[in-house]
Amino acid sequence: MVIARRVARLVFVVFVVTFLTFFLLDRAPGDPAELKAGLNATPEVVAEIRAELGLDDPLFVRYLDWLAGAIRLDFGESLVTEGFTSWDLIREALPKTLELMILAELMAIGIAVPLAIAAARRPGGVLDRVTSAGAFGLLALPSFVLGIYLSYVVGVQLGWLPTIVDDLPGLNDDPLENLRQMFLPSLTLALALVAVYLRLLRSDLIDTLQQDYVMLAQARGLSERRILWRHALRPSSLNLTTAIGLNVAGLIGGAFIIEVLFAINGMGRLTILRVAQEDFPVVTAVVALLTVAYVTVNFIVDLLYRVIDPRIRDGVA
Amino acid sequence: MRRHSARLLATALSAVLVAAACGGGSDDAEPAESDDTTEEVADAEGGDDAADDGGAGGDDGDEPEPSDDPPPSTAAPLEDEDQLTSAGEGGEGAGDGEPTPGGEITWGLGGDGTGFDTTGAISPGSIRVVNAVADPLVGLDVDANWHPNLAEALTPNDDFTVWTITLRPGVVFHDGEPVDGAAVAANLQAHKDSPTTGFNFASVSTITAVDDLTVEVAMSSPWAAFPYQLVGQAGWMVSPSTIGQNDTIVSTGPFMLESWTPTDSARVVRNPNYWRADEGLPYLDAINFKFLDDQIVRTQAFEAGDIDGFISPSEADIVDWLDDDSVDVWIGTAGANEALIMLNTTAPPFDDVRVRRALAHSLDRQFLIDTFRSGLTETADGPFIPSSKWYAETDYPDYDPAAAQALVDEYEAEVGPIEFELRVQPDTAVVEVIEVALTFFADVGIDATISEIGVGQTVPLAIADDFQAMSWFQFGAPDPDRDYVFFHSSGGFLNWSNLVSADIDAGLDQARQTDDFDTRYAGYAQFQEALATEVPMIWIDHLNGIEAAVTRPELNGIGTSGMFADGTASLPMTDGSFFAWTGVWLEQ
Repeated sequence: MVIARRVARLVFVVFVVTFLTFFLLDRAPGDPAELKAGLNATPEVVAEIRAELGLDDPLFVRYLDWLAGAIRLDFGESLVTEGFTSWDLIREALPKTLELMILAELMAIGIAVPLAIAAARRPGGVLDRVTSAGAFGLLALPSFVLGIYLSYVVGVQLGWLPTIVDDLPGLNDDPLENLRQMFLPSLTLALALVAVYLRLLRSDLIDTLQQDYVMLAQARGLSERRILWRHALRPSSLNLTTAIGLNVAGLIGGAFIIEVLFAINGMGRLTILRVAQEDFPVVTAVVALLTVAYVTVNFIVDLLYRVIDPRIRDGVA
Repeated sequence: MRRHSARLLATALSAVLVAAACGGGSDDAEPAESDDTTEEVADAEGGDDAADDGGAGGDDGDEPEPSDDPPPSTAAPLEDEDQLTSAGEGGEGAGDGEPTPGGEITWGLGGDGTGFDTTGAISPGSIRVVNAVADPLVGLDVDANWHPNLAEALTPNDDFTVWTITLRPGVVFHDGEPVDGAAVAANLQAHKDSPTTGFNFASVSTITAVDDLTVEVAMSSPWAAFPYQLVGQAGWMVSPSTIGQNDTIVSTGPFMLESWTPTDSARVVRNPNYWRADEGLPYLDAINFKFLDDQIVRTQAFEAGDIDGFISPSEADIVDWLDDDSVDVWIGTAGANEALIMLNTTAPPFDDVRVRRALAHSLDRQFLIDTFRSGLTETADGPFIPSSKWYAETDYPDYDPAAAQALVDEYEAEVGPIEFELRVQPDTAVVEVIEVALTFFADVGIDATISEIGVGQTVPLAIADDFQAMSWFQFGAPDPDRDYVFFHSSGGFLNWSNLVSADIDAGLDQARQTDDFDTRYAGYAQFQEALATEVPMIWIDHLNGIEAAVTRPELNGIGTSGMFADGTASLPMTDGSFFAWTGVWLEQ
């Protein structure tokens, strides 16, 4: 029942956001018909294209038409690259953005969790102070500065890794080359998350380690490592899980910048370019899909709470 | 002094604000590659590479004395003269040493490719790719005169009302179809019939395939400069079944399109059936074109060796690299886009020539060049660079604030305050220049505000006459006939400024109808003087210096002459050759 309610809410949010996107792009300056006409933008030709694109219909009718197509992944033709549908472009870009986001999350978790555990073992210790300072430093650095810096040092000066993603092979085809090209962008995106995850988990772990049951475990002679990884980490992960869910939006925003900095042909770069070129069908499709992705991830996070913390599942908390 | 300080402050502030607003990508989308005027207008003519429009005449008449004007450099003199490409240099082959076949390169593109429909508006990013997969019927020699290329010969009748194009036997498209009279006629007819490109062929009345190797093009009026139209887009031949197709191109060039991913990259591979294959051409096995929209990204990718070259680096990088032996900088000298402000002469206040002249008098172009171009460009007072053989001295209004003020006072006493909106593309490099230009206008009491428009909106707005003033990049064709429709009253909505001038029309018509150099020169001199008097556009600078190509030293043939099939040296790519990729080679 709870899940059904959440699904209904998810569908409602998708409707609202896609309609608002459609509405705002409709009100944006620039006329898609004029853009498509190009040098041929005489009033007669523009009127003909407007009719052809259905731009003379009322907004709500156009939205319903679009929605009917969107359900079948038919988001319309690109206005800029004739011969390609919006879905053609998205299909090319989506896997790269997904890979970037997943790699960044994995790197962030892989770096933040061990560091947080190590820092929580000795609050105020050298490691705790160093990681805290590092985390605050990373939080203060905008990702585009970090990206340019990493690209310059690791790519230009040291020549270890490429500064751009070019002709990216699939993970199945050539995983090493794929990861070699995606390492710097993923790391850039991950480092900002590391700071957040590290601070959050460290703080929750310190609280958890002061709980009675942890002291009981210590009294029973369980090893520190076992207590930390088996008994303290899971109950301390609720806020981290929330942050991971909420950070999907941040990751999408970060991907927009990172994809430009490392020339990744992903959803972010596609959106930025097509907004500037006023390729409205592509932009609307991308925003709609990102919205669906965001609300879906947060829906999954909601479900994960119930797995992580039985009190939520049982309606106690 | 106070005003100067205020201007410097405004310059600094605008740079900071614009950089902040654009999230740091301050040099993205430089005019040469991303400006949509260039994209949809110059490039519809094949003018992406700035200089690559047209040529300077197939005429055999006398040329004027060489210009005494300085090279396009002031604040940052070129250290290495060999890095200046110009008509007459090179000519001994693709580069230094013996070309070696093989290898592949990655070339950075600053502008996105939007497709390959040769009858449509092709973007700069696409044109660079097309240059590798299509070689035009006509090319330009080192003097920027037209020279047969894919066509074997072009012959006019006595009064230039009929041109006969003779084709080479045995040439095939990438799909194996023959490049015969029917195919060429079909391409030219499609170009003429296209609402986007047809304006180029307004004077063409009929196109007939006479036989397998002959096409006859008849004109409604004498057109001596017709071959220059075939240097660019109109001269690219595609397999007849693919005419009008946007997602691929099947042409005749040294390379074949293997893949294209919009917004990302394209890959072209060696054409084994190239019609010049017996000369060992092309040398490279493949070229990967990578679209890199951010200037910083392009620069870092180049410095890291991830790309082998690109066009239009930032001004600061050009200055740095001119002193760097590990980088070759190629600056063309034959012509380039001009940066300017287009005025709508039918919209107040620019329907009054006093306001237009006041605007020109008020603008210190050299200040803008010193501030924003590192002194690499040259002030413009018309569509031709002073080193062009078509350039003529004119009375274009010089920087003279007092004269500007007098004109403003006179106009305001009669009509009222001068206010206007200046439409600008969302490009940092453009906005910052215009921001400072506005302070010059304000100094003489002209109140202008900036209105940013979307990428791709420039041309539609100009066609609809929905502007008072607009930042613009165009012209600079070595042969002025390529720009005919943009100034002649018969150009209709393509006569962007809407200026109708009997002197301009007469000058352009006189020059179009003959191949006698002196007669043509006189016509174009009249045209330039009329432009300087009427001031339908406020010229800023010729962009040669910043439309440079940078390459790593192992890459040869970019800034040096190539060869036509008959051994004649062609204009280097950086000076507007359309098929320079043919002779590019990599030291192995």
